[in-house]
Amino acid sequence: MEHTTLAHHLILAGLLFVIGLTGVLIRRNLLVVYMCLELMLTAATLALVAFSRFNHLMDGAVLVFFVITVAAAEVAVGLALIVALFRQRGTVQSDALNSLHD
Amino acid sequence: MSPDLSCLVHWILFLPLVVAAFSAVVLRRAGTIAAWLSTATAFVIAYLAWIVLSQVPGDLVWHVKLASFGQMELGFGYLLNAHARLMLFVVSFVAAWIHLFSIGYMADDEAKGRFFAGLSIFMFSILGIVVADNLLMTFIFWELVGFSSYMLIAHYFDKDFAAAASKKAFITNRVGDLGFILGLAFCLQHFGTLNFADLAAHQPAGGWPIALGALLMCGFLGKSAQFPLHVWLTDAMAGPTPVSALIHAATMVAAGVYFMARIFFLMTPEVLEIIAISGASMAALGGLCALAQTDIKKSLAYSTLAHLGIMACALGLGHPELALLHMTMHAFFKATLFLGAGSVIHGCHHEQNMLQMGGLLKKMPITATAFIIATLSNCAVPFFAGWYSKDAIIEAAFHGHHYVAFGLLAIAALATCLYSARMVRLVFLGSAQSEAAEHAHESPWTMTVPLVILGVVFSLAAGFATSFLIPANATVSIAEPLHEMAFSFTAPATWVGLLSLLAGWAALKFYGIFPGKDSLQVFSPRTYHLLEHRWMDSFYEWYLQKVQRRVAEFIAFLDLLLINGVAGRWIAAGIPAVLGYFTGRTLHRGQTRGYALWIILGTLLLAWCFLAR
Repeated sequence: MEHTTLAHHLILAGLLFVIGLTGVLIRRNLLVVYMCLELMLTAATLALVAFSRFNHLMDGAVLVFFVITVAAAEVAVGLALIVALFRQRGTVQSDALNSLHD
Repeated sequence: MSPDLSCLVHWILFLPLVVAAFSAVVLRRAGTIAAWLSTATAFVIAYLAWIVLSQVPGDLVWHVKLASFGQMELGFGYLLNAHARLMLFVVSFVAAWIHLFSIGYMADDEAKGRFFAGLSIFMFSILGIVVADNLLMTFIFWELVGFSSYMLIAHYFDKDFAAAASKKAFITNRVGDLGFILGLAFCLQHFGTLNFADLAAHQPAGGWPIALGALLMCGFLGKSAQFPLHVWLTDAMAGPTPVSALIHAATMVAAGVYFMARIFFLMTPEVLEIIAISGASMAALGGLCALAQTDIKKSLAYSTLAHLGIMACALGLGHPELALLHMTMHAFFKATLFLGAGSVIHGCHHEQNMLQMGGLLKKMPITATAFIIATLSNCAVPFFAGWYSKDAIIEAAFHGHHYVAFGLLAIAALATCLYSARMVRLVFLGSAQSEAAEHAHESPWTMTVPLVILGVVFSLAAGFATSFLIPANATVSIAEPLHEMAFSFTAPATWVGLLSLLAGWAALKFYGIFPGKDSLQVFSPRTYHLLEHRWMDSFYEWYLQKVQRRVAEFIAFLDLLLINGVAGRWIAAGIPAVLGYFTGRTLHRGQTRGYALWIILGTLLLAWCFLAR
């Protein structure tokens, strides 16, 4: 395990991203969808850190701090929206939320 | 550059900001504490500015690069040359005493915390303009000054006229600032830098372009209330009187003059000619209009317009040092006049109509003494502060063979003596014309001490102090006209001054003829009505309603027709409608996951388009 290369990191990030993406596409509970979205974001962040590390630059690592900070704020807003949605509709199943269709 | 001195400037600049933030957040309900804290800060700043003025030997330069966006650099720095040091001291010194005055004047106000936080944020903004070493930083603080002025004019925001006046001031300033920001863009485009020092070092071979000076001049016209953007200043008197004294007489409006002196090297002769003529006209117009105001503060506001015109004229004649000298002297005596007016208003239970006053000399002796001394300085009586600068500017106009400006300035000087005499006659002499004036009382010490210091001491002695107040490099160019005038009774400025004073003496008698009425209005109602200066507002009203509104409505119609109608309704809504017609409702299922899938597919398609090539 000593010889982790950039490729390893990128493959891991890619896997995480695909897992997140699949989750977003197939899960119906908005809470889980939201977690999967965050997983996608984390995957992108991981790739950024990996590039930063293997290029011996700090730029990516610094950017990640901002990304995490903004993501934290965004999670708060998103969760609040989901809670508000639950109070309004009594459900967070995405199938039930299709009033735009009618 | 010495580190301890730039540290001093940090303190001067950021102390008011910290105090303003602290007052706004913590001391909202504790107005009295906020008032004293803000005042103490102002005095500390005045002391530090005095150290900077008296102990910094040469220019103080300090610069840090905050960020750069392509060509544009956002720098933060100080450039304290002789002019800046003088301005720094004048602003902070006058402001400190006005802070003290405000404690007495605003004693009964409910929103003291907000008011003093506003004063502190204003201090931060104006000091920022003074020390700024580049155009962008100046512009940022310039806007901050506009904001704090807006906030303080609207202090009584539940009154309609105050709310309207603050909007008027803000919007009129925006018109000027449009020119300013275009000037910034122009400067960046052609010279690639906004730094004063870099600009000064790289004068283009063919001279500076006229457009640059003219655009930057627009900012000056707005902030210093010069024609045609002067209409906001008289309405700005809706704010509390200390605000009028600090912002709309002594410092903010003078910041425009200071700014012009700072970028004087960018001005071409054509621009200077415009400034000289418009300034001199403004001086004459402002002086004459001050004759027909019944509100004591409005009359003083027109007087301020006149003096700003005189400063602008000095700039236009190519004497920025004289303009700064007059700005300094004007700051002292006009602040005193406004504070005196504030004290009178306070004593008369918020009566502002001069025709309702009278006989206050006996009831408010300290206020009256300070006010009259400042008035004499305003009239440029020899050896009072105003005489040194105003007569020097009139003399400079004559020496520069600029006889139009000379004539207009002579009218301004005459008008100054007339309205000053009228003011003193109506307010302090004669007999009380109303119940309020009958029961007037002297103000508390917090109000009289600033009056005595600024009025009696500085309106009198600032002239003698010029030898060390004027920047050393400026004395050379001032000395000649000053000497010629002081020692020769044949100098035209002296004759103008003496004749004006005689006219002022006559006006003192003239305005005593009809007690409780304005004599000019009785003799010539039409002249009086013309001088009330309603026509400029009427013209703007006409322009906005009949011209600008029509154009705006036409553009709104085009917008409705082309953007909303053709582009929005037909094209943007038409494509999905056609698609939807062919695909049925397969694309539009109301399923979040379905939309997510489309987004992902779209992204992949775009990625393929861009990356596959």
